[in-house]
Amino acid sequence: MNMSWGEFTGTLMQKAAELGVPIEGQFELTSRCNLRCNMCYLGRGANDADAIKRERSAQEWIRLAAEARDAGMLYLLLTGGEVFIRNDFREIYEAISKMGFNIMIYTNATMITKDIADWLGHIPPSQVEITLYGASPEAYSYICGSSEAYTKAVQGIDLLLSRDITVSLKTTVVQGNADDFEKIAEFAQKRSIDFGVVNYVSPRREPGNTRPESERLSPEKLAEYEMRVQNYLNKGNRKKTYSVFKADKPSVDVKEYPFYCTSGKCSFWITWDGRMTPCGLMNEPATFPFEKGFDNAWEELQEACCSLPVCTECDECSLQDYCMSCIARLWSETGCYDRPASYLCRHAQSRKALEELGR
Amino acid sequence: MLKIKDGFMLREIAGTMVVVPLGERVIEFNGLMSLSESGALLWRKLEQGAEIDELVDLILSEYDIDRDTARADIEEFIAALKEKGLLNS
Repeated sequence: MNMSWGEFTGTLMQKAAELGVPIEGQFELTSRCNLRCNMCYLGRGANDADAIKRERSAQEWIRLAAEARDAGMLYLLLTGGEVFIRNDFREIYEAISKMGFNIMIYTNATMITKDIADWLGHIPPSQVEITLYGASPEAYSYICGSSEAYTKAVQGIDLLLSRDITVSLKTTVVQGNADDFEKIAEFAQKRSIDFGVVNYVSPRREPGNTRPESERLSPEKLAEYEMRVQNYLNKGNRKKTYSVFKADKPSVDVKEYPFYCTSGKCSFWITWDGRMTPCGLMNEPATFPFEKGFDNAWEELQEACCSLPVCTECDECSLQDYCMSCIARLWSETGCYDRPASYLCRHAQSRKALEELGR
Repeated sequence: MLKIKDGFMLREIAGTMVVVPLGERVIEFNGLMSLSESGALLWRKLEQGAEIDELVDLILSEYDIDRDTARADIEEFIAALKEKGLLNS
């Protein structure tokens, strides 16, 4: 009865992966966002008419959640875009919160008002994970297109904390905020909340106006940044309760499977327009749960994932221990499942070189 | 009478019995709890409401165990549920 959260989840995920139970779902409720972050892999404008038209309705999401629950979904992430931009988010969340899930919400916190914090405080999710894009209005102005968003994000975080909602914080490292790491870490430290770094910025999944590749750090600078983060954390006395680098995803042990992680084995992603994919970075393979039903879509997705080709060059590479490559990132970087990605290769080389320098 | 509070759901996930808090219950119990097979049996009975003697009889009807051991195990289980605030009384 007294297993740690990590042990409990790890054991359950492993069992689910072995049995092909879709225990973990990610519902991308919208692609729209009130911010215009220049490195976003997905975001569209807040009033994008095409996106609004193609979004799935609240009732459709609620019905899908019920089907997924019956198939074994326990962990549910609600993400976007920005989920609070949907006028019907309350309707979706209130229904889903009574279905028997462990729910996490991703948000930029800038739309959290007193009213929303009060409401959510009465029916809280297990956790709200917030991305802080910088430590100043200037950083937010450059990255997100709004200097005011910094103050709003800080206010949103503090409002949620004041309602005793479990909050964790992360930052996505890009050129515009790489210098802010220590300040963001101190911000989290001051509030005693978990903190992580999204160290991989993916190219866009769909066409759009942002430019992730030109805003992310070069592979060499990223490796240096990671070293700086590690050195900071190693100074001690700082709260570090989970793996700080989000890109180094924990895996389950599933033999003969193209994904290192749980994707397509016991977890899935539903895009804002209603496709089921193994991972939020990927447009394919895709199946159609709203049209064909959850069970059929899940079965088809598992089959499709099993037949994906594997990159033999990556499999035989001596830098594997340094590399954050996976099939989704290869696809995202190169458009192929089985071709090495130059960005990831250079990053692994840089990590190794820095480690050797440090010896 | 012992009874599980409203707002908790017992689910079978990948062969594991898991208790999940619903809606506002997350405020007092933000997490998950796994139950053994016998724990799940007791939980289902406790959802309807039961006295300790009824729980002992239930376990004796399902498992080859002596009454004193069953009672001791059940009392331990009930104490754990009470400690986590999952019982009405």
